[in-house]
Amino acid sequence: MIALRQTLLLTQWQFRRQAQALPLLVTVQIFMAIATVVGYGLLVGAPSPEVALYLATGAPTVTLITVGLVMTPQIVAQSKTEGSFDWMRTLPVPRTAFLFSDLLVWTLLALPGMVLGVIAGALRFDITLSPAPWIVAAVIVVSITAAAVGYAMATLLPPAVATLLTQMLIFIVMLFSPVSYPASRLPDWLATAHEFLPIEPMAQLIRAGLVQNEFTMPAHSIIVLGIWCAASILGAVAALRRQS
Amino acid sequence: MTISNTLSIAELTKRYRGRSGVQANDGITFNVSPGSVVGLLGHNGAGKTTLVNQIVGLVRPDAGSIHIDGIDAIAKPNLARQLVSIQAQANVPITGLTPRLAIELVARIRGISKPDARRRTQHLLDVLQLGEWADTPSQKVSGGIARLTSFAMTAVAPGRLVVLDEPTNDVDPVRRRLLWEQIRALADNGAALLLVTHNVREAERVVDHLVVLEQGKVIAAGTPASLTAHLHGALTFEVNVSPDTTIVWPATLERAPHPSGGLEQVRMTGTVRPAHAAEFVHWAQAQVDGGRIEHYALAPASLEDAYLQFVSKNTATATVRKEPTFTPALTKERA
Repeated sequence: MIALRQTLLLTQWQFRRQAQALPLLVTVQIFMAIATVVGYGLLVGAPSPEVALYLATGAPTVTLITVGLVMTPQIVAQSKTEGSFDWMRTLPVPRTAFLFSDLLVWTLLALPGMVLGVIAGALRFDITLSPAPWIVAAVIVVSITAAAVGYAMATLLPPAVATLLTQMLIFIVMLFSPVSYPASRLPDWLATAHEFLPIEPMAQLIRAGLVQNEFTMPAHSIIVLGIWCAASILGAVAALRRQS
Repeated sequence: MTISNTLSIAELTKRYRGRSGVQANDGITFNVSPGSVVGLLGHNGAGKTTLVNQIVGLVRPDAGSIHIDGIDAIAKPNLARQLVSIQAQANVPITGLTPRLAIELVARIRGISKPDARRRTQHLLDVLQLGEWADTPSQKVSGGIARLTSFAMTAVAPGRLVVLDEPTNDVDPVRRRLLWEQIRALADNGAALLLVTHNVREAERVVDHLVVLEQGKVIAAGTPASLTAHLHGALTFEVNVSPDTTIVWPATLERAPHPSGGLEQVRMTGTVRPAHAAEFVHWAQAQVDGGRIEHYALAPASLEDAYLQFVSKNTATATVRKEPTFTPALTKERA
């Protein structure tokens, strides 16, 4: 009970601290959604119905996981540099409470972009969604996993390295991952790599959740996603407990 | 280790790995008892922050022990943290929060009920005269107000041990006095206080006991009176010599003058016995009138002088003083 209360108080602390950057955060998410929907649309010209479905469902996935994989590590790296990370670790709070409060904040902050992406995609490509009843749960699972991977990256790596990695990840997620197009278009080696990375399963989960009439979620992807989520949480907790 | 001490540190040793391999702490031993304020003095890099980080379990010592209220802080850092509240050297960034909200939230995170947290926060805002800024977004408050907020966040639900790292930095003189009162009040309410500072002159009035660190070692420890005992009766002088001037010093100086400070003019310090003080002032005034020195000051030797002596003995750099910060008791400026 005490740990839960502390987690919620820490969430309040972190959310209020990030809330002032909320307008900026939402603006960035709007740009991401527009870039992936309108920008990709320009690249491919008049898309076939299947391509249109990929583009429309890829946009919310890209904005959703960019927050977790890119913004979360950047903010955590910044808090390490400015000293608030170490100060918070001096508080008599279980290390897991820090992690869960941060994951909760970042999961919530990623949602506006997700919704915007869905709206932008549906409007631009005039597609009909068939959302599954578990879409909300799927969004939360993807958001938590992305935030956990980002959090682990920022806590385990030196701030400068983590920040550099996030810059690379933007391009990997937007261009070199089977999010807005099918994996069959990738070179074999990259398609194989994505079978073990968390990005493709995230895209599959959102795609199947938004258009369940057309897509399904492979069991392999659920397992890969689960492993990444658990490993990232364990890695982040270990980093929070680490003593120098 | 005796249970009567809130903080017991014995033979604490920490060496950072890596190429430089800094020996940050080297066999440090001291105690802090409930209701007392212990000042931890030392240069930048003397090992103070490493020591503090070991107390709250952020850094793991190589050898030695830390006990807080009898609990082994190295083996059980989670338990130890419940007994310690700490004000870090750098201000905690609280952008997005107001001072009042930040103080209240920390109190509640530390287990204080909401109404109680609110009441305690209001009390601290009142006694530190922070009311004007209490509800201002923290990105708009000055460094001094941020520093005091950071102190209040530490004092609102104090642990059995309270660690304050340079609490008075950036704080204005009026609130500085209020802050020292609150620091003393924490100890009077039974907390053990470890005050990390290089502001020797101010700490002197508040601390019960001092520990001087240099290159990771305790080079002196004792009450302020015991540390200054050997200086009793001595006066410190400081003279700013005019550029390109040769000075003939009076023969009665106890400790020969040494240069310190910048290049524009040469600042010299040394000590003189009280019996020769009048003679010194007479001499110095004649030098001022003759344009050979620009400024002089004479003050009773203080804890700061003792501290500088300990440190300089240890580093064998004689009595060179880079930045004299004391307020002269007797000052005469050339018109």
